[in-house]
Amino acid sequence: MRWWEIRKRDADLQRELDSDLELEMEEQRERGLSPEEARLAALRAFGNPTLIREQSHLAWGLEWLESFLKDVAYGMRSLLRSPALTAVAVLSLGLGIGANTAIFSFLDAILLRNLPVQQPSQLVLLGTGAWSGISDSWAITELHSYPFYRDLQKDNTVFSDTAAVLSMTNPVFGTVDHRDHTEPMKVQLVSGTYFPTLGVCPLMGRLFTDEDDNTEGNHPVAVVSYAWWAGSLFRDPQVLNRKLKLGDTTFDIVGVAPQEFFGTTVGQQPDIWVPMSMIASVPPNWGSYTDKRSESLYVFGRLKPGVSLDQATSNINLVFHQIWLSYRNEHVTQQDLADLQKTQIPLTPMEKGLSGLRREYSQPLKVLISLTGIVLLIACANIANLLLARSTVRVREFAVRQALGAKRSRLIRQLLTESLLLAAAGGALGIVFAGLADRILLHMISGGPDTVPLDVSIHTNVLLFTIAVSVFTALLFGTLPALRATRLELTESLKDGRNANSGSPKTPLANGLIITQVAFSLVLLVGAVLFVHSLINLNEVDTGFNRENTLVINLDPSSIGYKDFEPRLNTLYQQIEQRVAAIHGITSASFAMITFNQGAWTNSVIIPGIDPSLSHNIIQNVVGNDYFKAMQIPLIAGRSFGPQDTSTSQKVTIISESFAKKFFPNTNPIGHHFAIGADQDISQYDMEIIGIAKDVKSQGLKEGRIASDYLPYVQRPRYLHNLVVRYTGDSTMVSSAVQTAIRSIDRTLPITGVSSLDEQVTGSITQQRTVAQLSTFFGLLAVFLSCIGIYGLMSYMVSRRTNEIGIRMALGAERSNVSWLIMREIMLLVAIGVVIGVPVTLAGSRLVTNMLFGIQGADTITLIASVAALLLVGLISGYLPARRASQVDPMIALRYE
Amino acid sequence: MDKNMQQRANVLQGTLDMLILRTLVYGPAHGREIGKHIQRTTNDFLQMQHGSLYPALHRLEAKGWVVSKWETAPDRNREFKYYRLTEKGRKQLVIEESQWKQMAEAVARVMWPAGEES
Repeated sequence: MRWWEIRKRDADLQRELDSDLELEMEEQRERGLSPEEARLAALRAFGNPTLIREQSHLAWGLEWLESFLKDVAYGMRSLLRSPALTAVAVLSLGLGIGANTAIFSFLDAILLRNLPVQQPSQLVLLGTGAWSGISDSWAITELHSYPFYRDLQKDNTVFSDTAAVLSMTNPVFGTVDHRDHTEPMKVQLVSGTYFPTLGVCPLMGRLFTDEDDNTEGNHPVAVVSYAWWAGSLFRDPQVLNRKLKLGDTTFDIVGVAPQEFFGTTVGQQPDIWVPMSMIASVPPNWGSYTDKRSESLYVFGRLKPGVSLDQATSNINLVFHQIWLSYRNEHVTQQDLADLQKTQIPLTPMEKGLSGLRREYSQPLKVLISLTGIVLLIACANIANLLLARSTVRVREFAVRQALGAKRSRLIRQLLTESLLLAAAGGALGIVFAGLADRILLHMISGGPDTVPLDVSIHTNVLLFTIAVSVFTALLFGTLPALRATRLELTESLKDGRNANSGSPKTPLANGLIITQVAFSLVLLVGAVLFVHSLINLNEVDTGFNRENTLVINLDPSSIGYKDFEPRLNTLYQQIEQRVAAIHGITSASFAMITFNQGAWTNSVIIPGIDPSLSHNIIQNVVGNDYFKAMQIPLIAGRSFGPQDTSTSQKVTIISESFAKKFFPNTNPIGHHFAIGADQDISQYDMEIIGIAKDVKSQGLKEGRIASDYLPYVQRPRYLHNLVVRYTGDSTMVSSAVQTAIRSIDRTLPITGVSSLDEQVTGSITQQRTVAQLSTFFGLLAVFLSCIGIYGLMSYMVSRRTNEIGIRMALGAERSNVSWLIMREIMLLVAIGVVIGVPVTLAGSRLVTNMLFGIQGADTITLIASVAALLLVGLISGYLPARRASQVDPMIALRYE
Repeated sequence: MDKNMQQRANVLQGTLDMLILRTLVYGPAHGREIGKHIQRTTNDFLQMQHGSLYPALHRLEAKGWVVSKWETAPDRNREFKYYRLTEKGRKQLVIEESQWKQMAEAVARVMWPAGEES
């Protein structure tokens, strides 16, 4: 029923009642009563029309609505009567709910939301979705080769569809139809079965089928994402007639993916999908279509109906073992078989998609939502206190209403409606705050100029969460004051004048709330200190190289027709290095495959006299001759690469300190030889050790000591995307000079990014920094809210005890005594809060130990410092009311109230 | 205060609808007529609470057993809201009647078994 219908029906009922009442009066008059008597008699006979109406409404099932609307209107009025209180309450709730909503929208996007595909719960991934897997002599269990995907698709009995997607998106500088410039686009290579397996339907044109992926190199087709079609092609309606040039190949755009489909990795949005059959044509040509050892694909499948995850796991592993046995073209020993049996692939449900973000942020997000939850609890405690204080003011109002026959439950309901109104206003404000906060947070976790493509707008889930939180908080802070306010001694409160108990206000409830706030604040404060401390530790980690005054310029030779392993790459690199190094203010420049936190290229090596099973996963870097100078990595022994190392001379390598310690513990490794490759399939590549470099961190600051080696690019032509430049002076000048120099050599060579080594290092601890910053913010917010709480409660107490204070002073109490009287209360509350807070804090800090670096949970110093800080702010926020108490003029105080 | 010592009862929950429907068999009537009729027929034993009569009428209307219309009363120059029994209402009356009969008989069998003197 619509409200206007209700109004109409109500008017109709009123009219009906009036007409019948009229009739009753007429009949009474006909009996000879005077009009007035007749009216009264009629009313007596008829009953209370209002009551009848109410009962009729009850019959319509509307009575609750009506009283609710009345309560809302009344609540509005009474809240607006105390605007300051309402503003404080709504603001603190808005902050609390906003923080929760913001964090939750990330939680939702990263951890909770399903992929927008058909029946996502049937999708499972081979492996756990890690970036890389540890390979043993058989296979990596996380990533797979294209031939393996095809064999698995053929042989398994549990998937209705099997698909593969390259674990990396290719950053390509491509050309759109007839435009005369290249532009960056993110290309993802997928098997032809990718879209059918997911069950995604095209927005326009078609998506791939297995037909696009059955022979290598002759299916130049591409599907573009909605966002890219809308952004880069300006929603071109002729999109299906457009072409794209990637590297040397021209692709036909055959379809546009639907708007909600962002791919299968949360936090990555490819612009273009190309079938795996074209892997060799898409720069930088990662992986291969036919190489069984080129393991870089995520493989996933859709479970057949009725197949459980366990059944699927056993079948997939059976097939996995069979396939790898068939790949071995040499004698398989018992030991090999045992190794193979140990190599098991776990299957992971993929309904929420793949995500590196999820791994990195799932625990921090859970911790952060706990922190924001606590902030909200503190805000609730504050509001409960405010409402308690207010309810004592409203005692008379309630007394009058109860005397007039209002039921207690009715009053409680009305008070809860007021709380709900506050919470609703706070929730609405919270959504506004969250909208702002989300953008800031997204910027924070992106840790660089490019924002992570993550949809954290206010979704249904998030909205429901916010509403639930608002209602919950309303009940939380509203219930106690409502119960308290309506428990009345009628006659006492109706007596005009003082409350009977105004001499010594007993506020155990309010005190309890303050204690809770202090305890919670301590938890948050210590948490913040721990995360900040951990961040400082990370920042102080010795990386092994000098991160100051170093630029890293990213170039992409693959997109202008250079091929991997091509010797002319070296000519380009040498030209650039020479020209850049000649620039004034640049001390050295060198190309490198990997600088810091850019993943790793690992290989197995064969060292004479060392068991090959021990020398897997050696991290290798291909670098220019001046790399150690540019990075300022000290050489401990031997020499650096130099002009004497050419493509035809003896292949050389520089090993890390850990490499030397691990494999040459008692000898000088210089002059020794070792080879790359553990497989018979790969030609052995013999190298002589010419130097030992100090260990560096390469994949992250928490990395332990890892055996690694360096190869000169002269002897090992590869795509190298990083040009490391050490400079003195102003970085912006240097940066533009370097770019000019590169363009003067080849105008078409795309410069894909310019950053500093320092930015790369700080970027690697973005997550820790975000957590530290946010926890600090929440900690301060908590303390601030607690201060407001303490200040508010104390001011209230002082005003209630003005009378008592006046008497004390009239009887000769010193001002200092009076202040002390008040301060004692505060100190006691804070102390109790701290006593309760410490064990809670210790328990809580144990939960986040694994997120901390270089500290083992809360130490004594942190605790003491936090406690001291809390006591200090408690003192300050209590001091003002205490001072006011001591300045009471006894004469005025005695007349007070 | 009611000083009348006559025994009275409020209409049993659930029978009010039936009584109203039965009253309307004689023809359309407005709320007060219906109430009066029930009170008179039971010699004032059944008290009509207006607070339950009007809601009951509206309930019946919502169920489609009666329809209402504002019409001028024949004896007075004013409009009243007249309720009229619908076909659906007639069927409902039959159902309720038989249910009530069964109920009454069942109660009677327990209270006054055949052969026992009450």
